[in-house]
Amino acid sequence: MNTKLVAAAALVLFLGAPASAHRLDEYLQATIISVEKDHVQAFMRLIPGVAASSVVIASIDSNGDGVISEAEQRAYAERVLGDLLLTVDGNSLRPKLVSVNFPETQEMKEGLGEIRIEFTVDLVSGGPERRIVFENHHQNEISVYLANCLVPRDPNIRILAQNRNERQSFYQLDYTQAGSSSEPASLKGWSAIRGWVGAVGFASIFRLGMRHIAEGTDHLLFLLALLLPAPLLALGSRWAGFAGVRHSLFQILRVVTAFTVGHSITLALAALGLVRVPSRPIEVLIAVSILVSATHAIRPLFPGREAAIAAFFGLIHGSAFATTLGELGLSRWERVASILGFNLGIETMQLIVVAATLPSLVLLSHMRSYWGLRIGVALFAGCASVGWIVERLLNVHCSVDVIVDGVAHHAVWIAGVLFLISLVCWWLPNVLDKQATTEQLSPPTLKRI
Amino acid sequence: MNVFLMKTIRGVGALALICSSVTAATAQTATSRIVSAANTFLSTLNEKQRQGMVFAFDDEKQRANWSNFPTSFVPRAGVSLKELNAAQRSAALVLVSSALSRRGFEKVEQIMEGDEVNKVKEGNNPIFGKDLYFISILGKPSEKDPWILQFGGHHLALNITIAGERGVLTPTLTGAQPAIYTSNGKTVRPLGQESDKAFALLNALDENQRKQAILSYRLADLVLGPGQDGKTIQPEGLKASAMNDRQRAILLDLVSEWAGIIHESAAAARMAELKADITETWFAWSGPTTAASGTNITAYYRIQGPHLVIEYAPQRLGGDPSMHVHTMYRDPTNDYGRRLTTK
Repeated sequence: MNTKLVAAAALVLFLGAPASAHRLDEYLQATIISVEKDHVQAFMRLIPGVAASSVVIASIDSNGDGVISEAEQRAYAERVLGDLLLTVDGNSLRPKLVSVNFPETQEMKEGLGEIRIEFTVDLVSGGPERRIVFENHHQNEISVYLANCLVPRDPNIRILAQNRNERQSFYQLDYTQAGSSSEPASLKGWSAIRGWVGAVGFASIFRLGMRHIAEGTDHLLFLLALLLPAPLLALGSRWAGFAGVRHSLFQILRVVTAFTVGHSITLALAALGLVRVPSRPIEVLIAVSILVSATHAIRPLFPGREAAIAAFFGLIHGSAFATTLGELGLSRWERVASILGFNLGIETMQLIVVAATLPSLVLLSHMRSYWGLRIGVALFAGCASVGWIVERLLNVHCSVDVIVDGVAHHAVWIAGVLFLISLVCWWLPNVLDKQATTEQLSPPTLKRI
Repeated sequence: MNVFLMKTIRGVGALALICSSVTAATAQTATSRIVSAANTFLSTLNEKQRQGMVFAFDDEKQRANWSNFPTSFVPRAGVSLKELNAAQRSAALVLVSSALSRRGFEKVEQIMEGDEVNKVKEGNNPIFGKDLYFISILGKPSEKDPWILQFGGHHLALNITIAGERGVLTPTLTGAQPAIYTSNGKTVRPLGQESDKAFALLNALDENQRKQAILSYRLADLVLGPGQDGKTIQPEGLKASAMNDRQRAILLDLVSEWAGIIHESAAAARMAELKADITETWFAWSGPTTAASGTNITAYYRIQGPHLVIEYAPQRLGGDPSMHVHTMYRDPTNDYGRRLTTK
């Protein structure tokens, strides 16, 4: 990301835009919170600097047509809200979008545009002393934050303390609310249930986990590359044909479980502060893990030991997940709860990815021509990983992210088309050489469908 | 052109001086002086110019039409000095100076001159320059009914509400880049006092007070900058009720750098109000606690009371935060004189 900014800044200087007039390479995100009797209202102003604007605009203009449509505005606002963590008395609550207001794209390019987002959060009644924690993780690497609250209009509400981390991405507001227990008993019981649901929901941290996998293309590529040869049987130094449905399912289950166990261990250790790992080498190792699994998909490097490898690299990926969680600045108990929520989010997204690709893999791996897909995807993953290794080691920019994100952007379509193709191939066994599986593979341990 | 401009402004300064001594002699009130300067200015304009710079008193959009940005980025309405001929321009500046104290008008001139220095530094970049300042009037200049005089451009936004004998300067933005420059061999720091007096206050605090005043987090910019009218945030830092008399005196003197921009009688009324609020006034500091003599602080600070928000925010842009600063002066209960003009 930093290299992108430097490049953008250089471009700006090159184009001769005045360097002295406006915000440059930061994304200013200013939030003002207003505490009311039964809800919290918040106003966000998001101002991308000149050099940061291209990155921000690209992430808003998701179809890349140069126009920021109303749908894209809303989607972006929802994405920003998804990157917030808001807890009231320890219960994480989902912010509701009230309004979103976008400047002209040109204004944003000049570092003048101000995106305004307003949201609310309903408050269930609680004790007299209350705590709101507001965390902003949106575009963490390029952003500077401001967080404040308004003097409450309600005379029953009195602010006790405001605490922030140094960069204000973490903001904690303590206040008292007089007359808060004057509710009728029937309502009280109901709100207690609602509070409990909110507490066990981990909704936002769960979503953070899901998004981490969905948008962390490097984690996805690693998993996909590892799954590619799962339905196949290794014969010496090459991959032979289909090894049977039960073998495939069992193999995929083993790989995914092992990966999960691995990353859960390091995630827990690192998130609890028991181990500390520098993020740069981890990022490099993650890229290496993709290269290894992509190579393995082409030629078996460690046949039969995929699970062990998945577990080992899981340890590395888990350390990276922990960095995300570590930025949240949670207390120890909150962390235990959030590890669970975060991990469940990661698992869910992984299962979705497996569920989306597994049928196609199993169906297609019957055919000899499966090698084309296998080698193709493996080469793509391999090239991307080499690109990442170079980027992360030398801190240079070779637009790997742009290409991979471009492909990942159409992941749902690709998976859908792949599934359709695999269905067609399965229904028309005469078109392609389905019988090859039995001819080539004689070992008695193999099971037919 | 530049030499001519400089001469004009200096001439206007002299004119303002003469005006003020004349008015003192004739015991004219500040408001009648401003109204007559406004009418004189309006009479020098042609119909088209006049229509372009007069707005309805309650035009909320025009009220909030100000910014720290250069005018090419955030276009101001009204008429710019650039569009005026020499006579019109000097009448415009007489009007502005009639509404300000001598010290206040000098500050304004230095901010504008600084933008001229910036223009030269940026290779004669046409987005800067001391003639890119806009003047506008909301309502009809009157000694009885409220009206607003606006004057501003890059790093400057004066919103002066005149309501009878009362004058209100909030909200007003001042800024400077370069925040230190030389003009005719003299070093000029348009907002130097704002830096020096705040630094003196910080140094006058004892260890315990400093602990409360210095915030643990960074502030990248103004919290209540342009567009944030009417908001009162929860105050933080050190409350002046925990200061001694000497410290409070420094604090009030610091506040006068903004409160004293408006003409003397309005400034005196404003200072009396702020003095009455003093024990409810807070001082908060964020950033480096050192500064070499003759340079500007690189820290953010905020002064907040029941009728006051002052923010001083050094800007990273340009490389050296001591050379680029934005400040904001507000009374959230009295933006554009609302407290005086709404019944």
